[in-house]
Amino acid sequence: MSLTMRIFTASRNGQRMFGTNGARLLAAKRTEPKDIVEVAKGYVYVNNKELSMEFEDITDRAATTMFFGELFRGFGVTLAHIFKEPATINYPFEKGPLSPRFRGEHALRRYPSGEERCIACKLCEAICPAQAITIEAEERADGSRRTTRYDIDMTKCIYCGFCQEACPVDAIVEGPNFEFSTETHEELLYNKEKLLCNGDKWESEIASNLQADHLYR
Amino acid sequence: MAKFLGLNRLTKLFQIIQECGGLKQTYLKLYRNDDLKIGTLVGIDKYGNKYFENPFYFYGRNRWVEFTPHVNMDYDGSQIPADWYGWMHYKTDLPPIRDGSRPKYKWLADHSENLSGTKEAYMPYTTTPPKVEAWDPSAKKQ
Amino acid sequence: MIRAPLVKALSALGSPTHQIASRAVRTSAIVAQTPAKAPEKIEVFVDDIPVQVLPGTTVLQAAALVGVEIPRFCYHERLAVAGNCRMCLVEVEKSPKPVAACAMPVMKGWRIKTNSDLTRKAREGVMEFLLMNHPLDCPICDQGGECDLQDQAMAFGSDRSRFTDIHYTGKRAVEDKDIGPLVKTIMTRCIHCTRCVRFASEIAGVDDLGTTGRGNDMQIGTYVEKLFLTELSGNVIDLCPVGALTNKPYSFVARPWEIRKVSSIDVLDAVGSNIVVSTRTNEVLRILPRENEDVNEEWLADKSRFACDGLKRQRLIAPMVRMPNGELQAVEWEGALIAVAKALKKANGQVAGVAGQLADVEAMVALKDLINRLEGETVVTEQGFIKGSGTDVRANYLLNSTIAGLEEADAVLLVGTNPRYEAPLVNTRLRKAYVHNELQIASIGPKVDLSYEHDNLGSDPALIKDVCSGSHAFSKVLEGAKKPAIIIGADLLEREDGAAIHATIVEYCQKLKKPEWNPFNVLQNNAAQVGAYDVGYQAGADRAIKAQPKVLFLLNADAGKVTREQLPKDCFVVYIGSHGDNGASIADAVLPGAAYTEKQAIYVNTEGRPQQTLPGVSPPGMAREDWKILRAISEVVGTPLPYDTLDELRSRLEDISPHLTRLGELEPAGFNETGAQAAISKSISGVAIDVKQKELKDYFMTDAISRASPTMAKCISAVNKQQRQDEQSKQSVAI
Repeated sequence: MSLTMRIFTASRNGQRMFGTNGARLLAAKRTEPKDIVEVAKGYVYVNNKELSMEFEDITDRAATTMFFGELFRGFGVTLAHIFKEPATINYPFEKGPLSPRFRGEHALRRYPSGEERCIACKLCEAICPAQAITIEAEERADGSRRTTRYDIDMTKCIYCGFCQEACPVDAIVEGPNFEFSTETHEELLYNKEKLLCNGDKWESEIASNLQADHLYR
Repeated sequence: MAKFLGLNRLTKLFQIIQECGGLKQTYLKLYRNDDLKIGTLVGIDKYGNKYFENPFYFYGRNRWVEFTPHVNMDYDGSQIPADWYGWMHYKTDLPPIRDGSRPKYKWLADHSENLSGTKEAYMPYTTTPPKVEAWDPSAKKQ
Repeated sequence: MIRAPLVKALSALGSPTHQIASRAVRTSAIVAQTPAKAPEKIEVFVDDIPVQVLPGTTVLQAAALVGVEIPRFCYHERLAVAGNCRMCLVEVEKSPKPVAACAMPVMKGWRIKTNSDLTRKAREGVMEFLLMNHPLDCPICDQGGECDLQDQAMAFGSDRSRFTDIHYTGKRAVEDKDIGPLVKTIMTRCIHCTRCVRFASEIAGVDDLGTTGRGNDMQIGTYVEKLFLTELSGNVIDLCPVGALTNKPYSFVARPWEIRKVSSIDVLDAVGSNIVVSTRTNEVLRILPRENEDVNEEWLADKSRFACDGLKRQRLIAPMVRMPNGELQAVEWEGALIAVAKALKKANGQVAGVAGQLADVEAMVALKDLINRLEGETVVTEQGFIKGSGTDVRANYLLNSTIAGLEEADAVLLVGTNPRYEAPLVNTRLRKAYVHNELQIASIGPKVDLSYEHDNLGSDPALIKDVCSGSHAFSKVLEGAKKPAIIIGADLLEREDGAAIHATIVEYCQKLKKPEWNPFNVLQNNAAQVGAYDVGYQAGADRAIKAQPKVLFLLNADAGKVTREQLPKDCFVVYIGSHGDNGASIADAVLPGAAYTEKQAIYVNTEGRPQQTLPGVSPPGMAREDWKILRAISEVVGTPLPYDTLDELRSRLEDISPHLTRLGELEPAGFNETGAQAAISKSISGVAIDVKQKELKDYFMTDAISRASPTMAKCISAVNKQQRQDEQSKQSVAI
């Protein structure tokens, strides 16, 4: 008699039918997977435990397998989530949070007067660990020191931000933009015009980022 | 009880449909935005993108943009201009229309989306003259 | 040590006795300087290391002997001691104050402490004062990265600043001076070491630079706005320890850390100055001198330093062939080589070659071998020399006294040469001897400013006979001298009576010669010349013209001595060289060669010292090394030259003349015997002796590279402008 009862109440879900007390009774009778290794007090044994070879437990497992118990539980989870609010964000319409220190697409900045900041000191070129920056400079007609070439190979760049740290005049910065992926490689070989254009486009955001971070510099 | 039966969600759906102005509009919105949300309109940028906020949604979904209608289905993440970029990315809670410290220089350029794949895409070119000047036999001697 | 300005000041008195006066000053100074007997060495201790030094050694020199380098700004080994920067302060035991190491002679038993607390504090203090008035513009300063002030501030300066004037209300600011198109001045950066002033008055011999004002108001400048007119002006850039004087054409171009440096030699004059070519991204950016005591010490002439931008202009980057319509058209190498080979086949041995002033020894040997294989005979240099077989004896065309040797000379006669512009670094040696060694100099030729005092005997060629016969007053000086020298300009020997002048002087030099001292000198002005004679070239393009060849090779021959009119109508002219100039414009086939910064090639300088250039950049476009072009032609013609690599070509050079491959070593030429020259008449014509380069503006453009250089063009216009201004001011004074 007791044997048929046990088969009948084989699965864990089935246990719930007997209410908490019955379940406790049943659980008390069930042998837990036994520990092969003696574990000292205060420690947790994390390896796979050897499955119990009691007849009762073997039939439990067999029933679970036969009635696809785990499969249906999985379906249940999926079904429940259809009615829940999604945890992902709807990207082009919603954006994830960014830090003011985020290091994205490079830009060359200008002074409020519109004069470019870069003085061709070449410190960024020197510090660049990926050697992504190439600068050529000469004297401009008014005698000031300016670059004639300021190329960044964005495919070499590792976005470490050393260039903006090295810059004595805050000319080269890594702006907030990360949406500059391209279809071809050469589009990522930025030249001076492109970088200045980035600066003109992003100045509003770059300035507010610098403002947000100025206390920590 | 209404909550238990999910009726509040139904109410919300009717609210959204009402807000959108009809079933057809709602369908179009869902088609374009993959989502139906209502919130307060925080501002509209100069390109016509509308920015919404609704703290009912969790952080990360509580601000969103509806791209300007004329781009139709060609919306792109990079169409958000620099001014609104910080607000969209939760860097600041101050939308640019209320932030007076944003620079307004003459030389600031208009925003442009990521043009890769179009004809206007940036192509690198050299900004320096050639290093070696070749001799031109036909040029007159100075 | 004598301060040249003192001598000048005395001579400027203008009295008839000024020469005697100046000589007396110099003599007395020398006597004072050289003690009668060898002095005993004294012992001093530098950081407790004992060192034996001669009396009169300064603390700084004594420290250098044990390998302790004392920081300095104003002190320079080749300049007079000024002692005004105070950076070299060191503690000396029992001395109440730190002493300036550069100016203080050591005393017996001194214990010098170069790393004590007092010394360090003194240095920190000096550095603080210097930095207080030095702008913080390192990011835009060209000296950044190679700046003595930067380095020493890092090494010896304090690690924190007491400078509180962050609004820069009291920081010194000085107006920049315009001293010419070569040297850029940012005078705010000046730390008043006066190295430039001392260089100008001691080495260059122009008192253009000086100081005005005192203390904080002190300024370096030219008093009135004028050019710093000297052929050695570039050296003040190297001397300046900060970024006050920088290289104008190179300004803002590159940083020292991104530069590749290649040790090479200069070929724009015949001195063969040792240089360092700075390159980046296959571009020659600047040229700096490299120290070589035997050749250029550590100086470099302006043309050699600044004409490097000519290497990027007017270049031949593709082979060209003259089309039937008379236009040169760029073609592939294959087409050009076949065109040349066709002409050579037709020429039937009537082939000649002319080597110009920038031709390297390898290419000249290859050209000579090629022409000989084609059964041609005539290989000549563009510049002439004495008629006959004068180039057979090596001593006949060398600067036999050697460049370094001229420093020891005590009587020099210059004949038809202006060493100041033909070989500026030979001139600095003469000036050095003049200042320190009581050298007496006379010149036969036009009156020129040699930057030191000399007797101009006149430009009458009869004077040569006078002097050489011993009847002239200067003959006595020469004959009485311990180490006399006669220097003949190479251009003078190009004259019809060049052989006579040469023979006359050679004969006289037999009389003057001393053991281990050959007084006979020819000052060449073309880098290729000596090398060409060494490998058996004959002198004078007229020989090639006389041969009336069917095919004429011009190897870097750009002086314009060969013209189309002088050649037969059907003559096929092949130009091999780097620049489009006189040679390329008359050529039927132009084969682009490499300039001296683009090839490994040997050049022999005027004293006969073979040295090699090393490639810093690759030849532009389709240009190739000259000898490889000739090798390729020989292949197409069907008589391949027996060398495929530079090493094989070098061993061929060794067969011709073993000294050519002993790079950097001077092969003594022995004495020139006049026996072979006996047949030559010694009648000297009456045409006045002249030199080509009389003034500074004649100096800047002398070859294809410097003619292509925009910087050199700017120099000429600047000098012309200065001359006009001077004339105007003279006129206004007269009015």
